[in-house]
Amino acid sequence: MATLELDRVVKRYGSLEVIHGVDLEVPSGAFCVFVGPSGCGKSTLLRMIAGLETVSEGEIRIDGVRVNEVPAARRGLAMVFQSYALYPHMTVRQNLAFGLENLRTPKAEIARRVAEAARMLRIEELLERKPRQLSGGQRQRVAIGRAVVREPEIFLFDEPLSNLDAELRVQMRIELKALHGRLGNTMIYVTHDQVEAMTMADLIVVLSKGRIEQAGPPLELYHRPANLFVAGFLGSPKMNFLPVRPAEGGVRLEDGTLLPLPGTALGFAPLTLGIRPERLLLEGAGPGSIEGTVRLAERLGAETYLHLDTGAGALTVRTGGEAAARPGERVPVRLPGEACHLFGPDGRVIRCAPRG
Amino acid sequence: MAALQRRIGPARFAWVFLVPNLVIFGAFTYLPIALNLVYATTGGLAVLPGERSFVGLENFASLLDCKNYLDPSSCSKDLFWRALFNTARFVALQVGFMILFALITALVLDRKIRGRGFFRGVFFYPVLLSPVVVALVWRWILQREGVLNAWLVAMGGEPVLWLMDAGWSFFWVVFVSIWAHMGFYTLILLAGLQAIPKDVYEAAEMDAASPWRVLTRITLPLLMPTMLVVIVLALIKGVQTFDEIYVLTGGGPGSATMLIVQYIYETGFAAQPRLYGLAAAASLLLAGLLMILTLLQLRLNRKSYRG
Repeated sequence: MATLELDRVVKRYGSLEVIHGVDLEVPSGAFCVFVGPSGCGKSTLLRMIAGLETVSEGEIRIDGVRVNEVPAARRGLAMVFQSYALYPHMTVRQNLAFGLENLRTPKAEIARRVAEAARMLRIEELLERKPRQLSGGQRQRVAIGRAVVREPEIFLFDEPLSNLDAELRVQMRIELKALHGRLGNTMIYVTHDQVEAMTMADLIVVLSKGRIEQAGPPLELYHRPANLFVAGFLGSPKMNFLPVRPAEGGVRLEDGTLLPLPGTALGFAPLTLGIRPERLLLEGAGPGSIEGTVRLAERLGAETYLHLDTGAGALTVRTGGEAAARPGERVPVRLPGEACHLFGPDGRVIRCAPRG
Repeated sequence: MAALQRRIGPARFAWVFLVPNLVIFGAFTYLPIALNLVYATTGGLAVLPGERSFVGLENFASLLDCKNYLDPSSCSKDLFWRALFNTARFVALQVGFMILFALITALVLDRKIRGRGFFRGVFFYPVLLSPVVVALVWRWILQREGVLNAWLVAMGGEPVLWLMDAGWSFFWVVFVSIWAHMGFYTLILLAGLQAIPKDVYEAAEMDAASPWRVLTRITLPLLMPTMLVVIVLALIKGVQTFDEIYVLTGGGPGSATMLIVQYIYETGFAAQPRLYGLAAAASLLLAGLLMILTLLQLRLNRKSYRG
């Protein structure tokens, strides 16, 4: 277990700056997920922490000690690669033991740790096989095992589940979380999948274009997004965004409907209203009611996503699995004021919807 | 064409395209192979097959007639055995050292060094030269009045008869052959090295592997399939070596650098009397050896694809 601190960390390739001064503190034992679209710098940041990329500026500290110049192997980290990066010519046992042999760990100790990791990850019967004889999920377990035997202070995961099929991904997600519970190590996990981020993280770090957009516990980010990017990135289906103008006592939607938002000083600039699909109500009475035409109904069984075209813009509504609405039908929809977020022209949040 | 195809049908029409190739291939490959069999089993000095008398396996028997197979002078065709031994020694040294140097060069060129493209070009360049040009260039360097001796004298040393001494000339024959062909194998090994995934190296880096451990436990094992192909290719080419050495030393001094192909050439075409039968028999033995090496290569190739 160890804390990890990033202090104004910058990465440049020649004159191209890809990480622009990232500050972050990951407490000991946390499961921290870096999430963001591809190209946002999350993998680069992870590789800098790992020691596979140099730090152009700033400082990386593990347990308070600067590690910028410490070689990857001596940082007390272990990494699970997206491609697994197993040694193809070695058996599973040799794959697990290789790192320990390099550190001149006594043979008996290697055998003990390999056996323990194999038991924990249920790969005992695979120990004499070569990686190419394993399925994707088994390879994934071996890759995790190779990290576990090192008994590192911090685990690093670089999109470890992206090569697995959907079912296996869910299963491995649960197992990884259980592994974290059992070992209690600090874990840094990179993914572009916001569901993985929401379900696994104690601390989510949302990255975009080499900057941290927001960092915090999953529900905190879900309910109190600091800006349009975070609001739109977390949650599925996405948060609805509508262009609005400030008006007396609230905001005016594009179709002219006044949405009362008491107690908010809004100025004059055009704003963006955000509301999550599950907070929209299919009812006609009350303030903030408009009408929309159903463009598409996605039925998932337990719930239905209705895609509506309204005079105020497109809206997605999450509703019950037995919703009767059919495409082409006109339905009422209400935007409850207490469920609305407001974002300024610069994308920053002005008003957050209270939880509920 | 279309009219012809309608007249004779598509199956027969295929022959229209195949025949020209078959004629050329037959005339210059299959016919000589058949003729070679005829010559190998007939005796006498006549050129025309019809005038030669059938002798069965006598030519092979005469080539293989030895009291002690480890001592060429105990054989009735001692030159054949000397050439065979020279070839074995040449191939062992040439292939062994060439692949060692090619491997080292490839490992260095695989790194991000300054002027990498330039050095890759430099090492590959000799491969583009005609073997005769290679031999002439080196003869010019190594002959008694050559560049190397001129330099030795200028440095205050004595000139050495590089190509007149049996030991030195064998050394130079191996050296020049390595120089001329190394680039090709370096290139193949380099391609093999670059096919090793980068993340495996990164995993090894995280696993605290020292550079030596990375080389011996990661790089070399993963390069092995490429390596096997390279070794067999080099063996086949090594056994076939002729032109470079023939121009550089003419097989001399004496028979010190005469290899098996040169023996076949001289026995059949250069020496008097022209023993076509013996040369044909020797070439069939060589063909058998090459066949074994080729089969080996095919097998290894298939295995490495599967791996």
